[in-house]
Amino acid sequence: MDDMLKVAIVGCGKIADSHALQIQRIEGCEIVAVCDREPLMAKQLYERFPIKQYFTDLAELLDTARPDVVHITTPAESHFDVAKFCLERGCHVYVEKPFTLYAEQAERLVDLAKRKRVKLTVGHNDQFSHVARRMRALVQSGYLGGAPVHIESYYTYDLGDPKYARALLGDQNHWVRRLPGKLLQNVISHGIARIAEFMTTDSPQVIAHSFVSSLLKQIDEREIVDELRVIIRDDQGTTAYFTFSSQMKPPMHLLRLYGPKNGLILDQDHEILLRLRGQKFKSYADMFIPQALFAKQHLGNLFTNVRLFLGRDFHMDSGMKYLIESFYCSIRDDSPVPIPYREILLTARIMDAIFEQVAANRSQDFSSAALGQLRAD
Amino acid sequence: MSNPATNIASQENELLQQDRFIVDPDDCILVTGASGFIGSRILQNLLDRGLRNIVCFVRPSSNLSEIEAMIERRPPDTRIEVRKGNLLSRVDCEAAAKDVAVIYHLAAGTGEKSFPDAFLNSVVATRNLIEASLRFGSLRRFVLVSSFAVYSNRDKPNGRILDESCPIEEHPELRGEAYCFAKVRQEQLVAEYGKNSGVPFVLVRPGSVYGKRGDITGRVGIAAFGPFLHLGGSNKIPFTYVDNCADAIVLAGLVKGIDGEAFNVVDDDLPSSRQFLRLYKKNARKFKSIYVPHTLSYALCYLWEKYSKWSQGQLPPVFNRRRWHTEWKKTRYSNSKLKAKLGWTPKVPTSEGMRRYMETCKPDGRYA
Repeated sequence: MDDMLKVAIVGCGKIADSHALQIQRIEGCEIVAVCDREPLMAKQLYERFPIKQYFTDLAELLDTARPDVVHITTPAESHFDVAKFCLERGCHVYVEKPFTLYAEQAERLVDLAKRKRVKLTVGHNDQFSHVARRMRALVQSGYLGGAPVHIESYYTYDLGDPKYARALLGDQNHWVRRLPGKLLQNVISHGIARIAEFMTTDSPQVIAHSFVSSLLKQIDEREIVDELRVIIRDDQGTTAYFTFSSQMKPPMHLLRLYGPKNGLILDQDHEILLRLRGQKFKSYADMFIPQALFAKQHLGNLFTNVRLFLGRDFHMDSGMKYLIESFYCSIRDDSPVPIPYREILLTARIMDAIFEQVAANRSQDFSSAALGQLRAD
Repeated sequence: MSNPATNIASQENELLQQDRFIVDPDDCILVTGASGFIGSRILQNLLDRGLRNIVCFVRPSSNLSEIEAMIERRPPDTRIEVRKGNLLSRVDCEAAAKDVAVIYHLAAGTGEKSFPDAFLNSVVATRNLIEASLRFGSLRRFVLVSSFAVYSNRDKPNGRILDESCPIEEHPELRGEAYCFAKVRQEQLVAEYGKNSGVPFVLVRPGSVYGKRGDITGRVGIAAFGPFLHLGGSNKIPFTYVDNCADAIVLAGLVKGIDGEAFNVVDDDLPSSRQFLRLYKKNARKFKSIYVPHTLSYALCYLWEKYSKWSQGQLPPVFNRRRWHTEWKKTRYSNSKLKAKLGWTPKVPTSEGMRRYMETCKPDGRYA
């Protein structure tokens, strides 16, 4: 391999822009080609970034540009086929989330990557934001006092945002509707991956409850499930709640970790990390001192964020840059990948279990509705 | 809005008698984005002109209340068909473009902040529509509704007239606006089809279209940082009232001998940014604004542009000198070509247009 890592991007939609922006910030790599079945889309990305070539055929790209790494930013339903094709050709592969449609596909990709001795990762970049990295360091230092006893992961999604909602709800053929888990599959993997990072078992128990929000029912949307509550439990006793909502306000992307000794709160939206002290203060002191300590922590978060901003290291996609950079380092040094394969697979298995139950919930809802209708008739 | 029933006879006669139009009343006219702000006015204008065979192409999620009201009160023997679909689907495009003589293409990725999304919904959709229309061989005019956003407005002194001869943005990717990039590429695509496939096209570039409650145009100022920053100052704002704009667009699809031309659409008697803001505060909503002189706004755009580059996009380059030249540089506007070649005149004077607009902005409808 040359010193300069040759990178290609397959799929030139919205998320490809973020990849191109972050890749060009990383030293020692260059985007040698992009590919999209729609030539106009491939060309527009090629025109706006320092990219050498564009293609409409993936095989031609691989033969001509010979990239070391391929970033797959196509719609999720094609992730498996495109990733498999690139892995078989000996390329390292970065797959945007959701990794694959089914856990079984994820397992096959991981096996293939191992057999071909190439690296594979998934775009769970939220786990590599500044605040997430600070939290990970604290957990690794033993701050929690052991494995987490309980985890809470909140992931909200504003369907009121006209950009996405209009495209999705207005288009019955939108690719998101074709995913087994529909909207949930395209969105929840960030929140689930955060839980998977701290689960020890390969097949945790998963109980999911899902429903269509009243907002979507009002506009006669019956197919898109936009409210989800999940309980997860591993064989070591760690439990987790996962909440996905399109209606909850304020919007939040939050992780709470409770250990046997202390707890942590990670607020992704505001890049805040709070330590939750396990021990209480005596008597009235517990009514006054914690507030002062929280204020101190909030100030500390503020100063950290300002310092990062002034240091030109506080980009909106800083987690993506860090993940890509770490992935490229693992390729160069043949060191471990930034997201262990175990976590990728566990995330996929939890998602499979969720979508299975969501589908069952929906069947039950339809049956109840049909029964109600029959009774009314 | 005029009542078509009262206008049919005279306007149909006008249409039939005039040999300056390329269509007959029964020729099929397609309007994409017909349920939108301008699209619905175009539909009404076509009906008022006595055209009797109109297809409206809308997204499945569109609000059809205005179109349905027009269908209810359409003149006898007039066909208005609503076809729902997505211009990203070639099948839907073929269904929309079947046997049409004139296409008014308004549907676009407006409001998109992402470059690929704006590009997809503007350029790729337009390509699909033109390709579909080429299969039927019935197209006599493709009217692309573009925007003033395509002009670069650089390399010319303050206060000079911006007209159709002014250069188009050479590097729209550097403007920091997805909409500008998509519109420039969309125009180029249509021009290429005109050159290579003989598609008869006309480009219409409206200024700031107004007429219903909405955000104040960025040419007046922005409220992105808290208080409203008034950036326009004494600049004229290239307003066009929605009915006047629709009239110009409709004429661009009908008048003979203008293939390959571009037309700017602005009304007469344009108010300055300051005059508009004063009127708005008096009649619609009171709020505090801070005037930013042109020299200062240019300096801020310059600094933002440099910081964005230095910080590798920590702040996206949404404010830059190219944008300043287009939106906040002192400029005058001309509608001479529109008047001379299309015979267009703004039927709603700016004073009346502003009165109507302010009424929509204020809940109690009072106008001072």
